Amino acid sequence: MTTTTIDRWAGGACPFEAGWRKVMMWWFIVTDGLLFAGFLAAYGYGRILAFHWPDTAEVFSLKYIAAMTFVLITSSATMASAVDASRRGDRRQALRFVGLTAIGGAAFLGMQAYEWRHLIAEGARLSRNPWGDAAFGSYFFLLTGFHGSHVLTGVIVLLTTAVRTAKGLTSADGVEMAGLYWHFVDLVWVFIFTLFYLL
Amino acid sequence: MKTYWITWCVLLAFTAAMLWADTASIPRLAFVGFMLAAMLTKASIIGANFMHLRSEHPGIVATVVVGLLVTGVILYLLIAPDAARIHEMVAAYGRK
Repeated sequence: MTTTTIDRWAGGACPFEAGWRKVMMWWFIVTDGLLFAGFLAAYGYGRILAFHWPDTAEVFSLKYIAAMTFVLITSSATMASAVDASRRGDRRQALRFVGLTAIGGAAFLGMQAYEWRHLIAEGARLSRNPWGDAAFGSYFFLLTGFHGSHVLTGVIVLLTTAVRTAKGLTSADGVEMAGLYWHFVDLVWVFIFTLFYLL
Repeated sequence: MKTYWITWCVLLAFTAAMLWADTASIPRLAFVGFMLAAMLTKASIIGANFMHLRSEHPGIVATVVVGLLVTGVILYLLIAPDAARIHEMVAAYGRK
């Protein structure tokens, strides 16, 4: 009975032709994505409700935010390359790309910390800000903070994956799971970047 | 591996186009439409190529698309009209 169950979850006999780890990771991504969807919908509601929403071009340096986006997109490409190398059994190259991805994630976090520090110094708080509607600050800190916590988690996962890959303890599936999570973090940023910073 | 770096180039091109649109004088409706289209295209590209949804079982693809996109859109469309009412109410009764 147990063997049959394990065989089925190995992916051979569906329901999704994928192993249990991948299916569970996708379930996690969908549920976590719905959490972000809820936050973004609340932000949309607050934005329509606001009488004077700040002009984001005046508040943020869009070139700086674009640089953050560049770093995150590039780290996604290196992560995809790590998964590919891992699938090919090239452990050395997989380790190198996972390491580069972790560096990209850490750089993104550093840039976000600098952005927060700058805005806080200018008077941005959860309940008020000098540019316009009071809710602007709370949505900014909530959305970017929640995303940033995901990036931090991702960096920890990547460092763990790198160490385990170096020791030969992580299978190609393990690298792929770390990759799926990292791409999800990138995917969420696409929405935050567009809906919060550009629109 | 080549596919991933082509995908990277395409994503950067979309990002550059979005930043250009942000500085260009485009009518608001067209601007919002372009931004939303570019955002969804970028998200689809990441999902399809980086997350390999393109080669996954259709059941996983359907779960992700229905679960995230459709629910997100329904969530927003259900509450956004309610938020817009505040402006009608203020016009009718004032801010207090």
